[in-house]
Amino acid sequence: MTFAKEFEPMPAVWGVGRVMVAGEVVPWPVSEADIVDETDIAEQHYRALGLADDDLVLVVALLSQAIHAVPLEAGAGRVGALYSSADATRFDAFRTASLIRQLQAKVVIGVDAEVVTGLDDLERDLSDVFGSVAAVVAADATAFARLTDAGLPTGRWLRLGPTSAVSVPGEDALAYDATRWQVDEDGGALVLTNLAERFTPCDRFHTGVRGSVPEPGKLLLS
Amino acid sequence: MPRAEIERLREEKLLGDLVPWSYERSGLIRETWDAAGVKPDDIQTMDDYHEKVPFIDKDAIRSYRDRHGDPYGGLLCLDPADPSMKGIFSAIFSTSGTTGDPTPAPYAGRGPSMLVREFWELGARPGDHFLHCLFTFRGPGIHDTIRGIGATPVFVDHQPGDVEQLFRFSTELRPTGWYTLSGPLIMMIEEAAARLGVDLQDVCSSYKGVIFAGEPLGPRARQRVEEWGLELFIQTSLGDVGAATECREHDGCHMWEDCAYIETLDPEGAKPVADGERGELVSTTLVDKIAPLLRYRSDDLVRVSREECGCGRTHGRVWPVGRKGDELLVDGVSVLPGDVWGAVESIDETNGLFQMIRPAREVDALRLRVGYATEGPGGLPALRARIEDAVEEAVGVRPEIELVERDVLLRQGPPHKIPRVTKA
Repeated sequence: MTFAKEFEPMPAVWGVGRVMVAGEVVPWPVSEADIVDETDIAEQHYRALGLADDDLVLVVALLSQAIHAVPLEAGAGRVGALYSSADATRFDAFRTASLIRQLQAKVVIGVDAEVVTGLDDLERDLSDVFGSVAAVVAADATAFARLTDAGLPTGRWLRLGPTSAVSVPGEDALAYDATRWQVDEDGGALVLTNLAERFTPCDRFHTGVRGSVPEPGKLLLS
Repeated sequence: MPRAEIERLREEKLLGDLVPWSYERSGLIRETWDAAGVKPDDIQTMDDYHEKVPFIDKDAIRSYRDRHGDPYGGLLCLDPADPSMKGIFSAIFSTSGTTGDPTPAPYAGRGPSMLVREFWELGARPGDHFLHCLFTFRGPGIHDTIRGIGATPVFVDHQPGDVEQLFRFSTELRPTGWYTLSGPLIMMIEEAAARLGVDLQDVCSSYKGVIFAGEPLGPRARQRVEEWGLELFIQTSLGDVGAATECREHDGCHMWEDCAYIETLDPEGAKPVADGERGELVSTTLVDKIAPLLRYRSDDLVRVSREECGCGRTHGRVWPVGRKGDELLVDGVSVLPGDVWGAVESIDETNGLFQMIRPAREVDALRLRVGYATEGPGGLPALRARIEDAVEEAVGVRPEIELVERDVLLRQGPPHKIPRVTKA
């Protein structure tokens, strides 16, 4: 048995992630170039959220969401910020609360219903946990409603096929990168087509998300 | 690598680089050394290192954190705000938080870690798929390391809710490596397979090796997994400066001595114990210049051997025994969680889920909180009696058993482990 030389050539496929369509898992291989491309998009979202030099963003996600979450992590560096990570699970909600406090996160992205329920379990008040955060970006409608009701500056993160769309607090429309992705409406649902080259192409891919496209680069959820 | 070369490398990295670097930049190291009247110039040889360098431990890190309001506990040697650090210092990860607030762990750069050696040893090769089954809070290192051996990561959550996808990806993509498996995950897989009618031998047929980590592996769980056809490689923490993992000889976990310097000392003092004897693992990094730990008392009780392994490696091996802070003295009898593990696990209804109640080191009675999935024949009184009998046979002390539904314990831990010792 010999050791690997340091290191083997990286494989063409960066990783096999997944996209969710109406609750069903669709395996989704992506390339390194895809991740770099999505990191460019994440950088745009962070600039809109006000993340800047020396700030910290807490990315709350699951490993199975890596093709969406890793660009959010790498995108932090693009604006000069650091990132930290917590799992988007009921159990790991304590980490979200702890890291916001310890690391003074400016932005938190990816808070979902599981995390909110976990904070409820801990009898933590949402306005206490997230009160110091400039923008908290919810990953689903339940979390969005709870965070908004708590009076927090809340945006939305939508995993739309293999890309992400994000709204900033106070705005209804979520932004996506219209130079790389074409989003169309088909019977009240959003379909996705890649304009930039992708390892796994989308050609009017049915995302399972219901919404509309008021203008290129903006979408509304229904 | 010959032992003499390992030792030369250690001396060069430690004395020539990490000692002055850490003293100059780490607030905790400087404060601790100053209190002991030690300066880097005093450390010219490894003998000096052993005689003069003071210890640090988790309490010292927490104390520094609280006194200085520094989330990194005085360990950070780089300033994230320094413009020259842009692009290098990228993230802050955190410890599991099993026993308290998760401790932030700064991370610089990206790229494969020394785990490439372990992943290669599993048998995974370029072009293979590799199951990456973990959490997000440990950062991108594992992902980069899988790619570092030329394999493609397949992402699966270390969560009950994702076990069906673990089955699916295993059968559709046929990965050859798997990082990681844990006790709770074994339980989840077993239950999901029974519920869904999944053939685990088929699911596991492509794997050449699986790293098991998080907490000790009981004999019953090992047997179950081996029945699925998996070859397990046990991994243990190396005093927060890395990990040690079994090779195919399965005779101890290899500690990479070009990355970490490991001492085994008298748990109550500073004298070294001989190889093969039980001692406290005291770790020193040889590679981490971001938040270096020097002479870190880990609280882990281990045995160590530096004899050449059957696999041909000259790097030492470590066998975890338990944690010093977990030891109970019950009427003078020493009991560690590992001593009762097999006994509790031997009762099917428990799945090996238990906690030792440790209000103090010395107690009058051995109290265990045990989780159960089903009551079994005779109901809870009979289950309690069977556990009491099994534990008494194992440790010679009849325990007091508090039975709780299994989920009560599972909710207390990260997905891959639960706190095995609790104050109440």
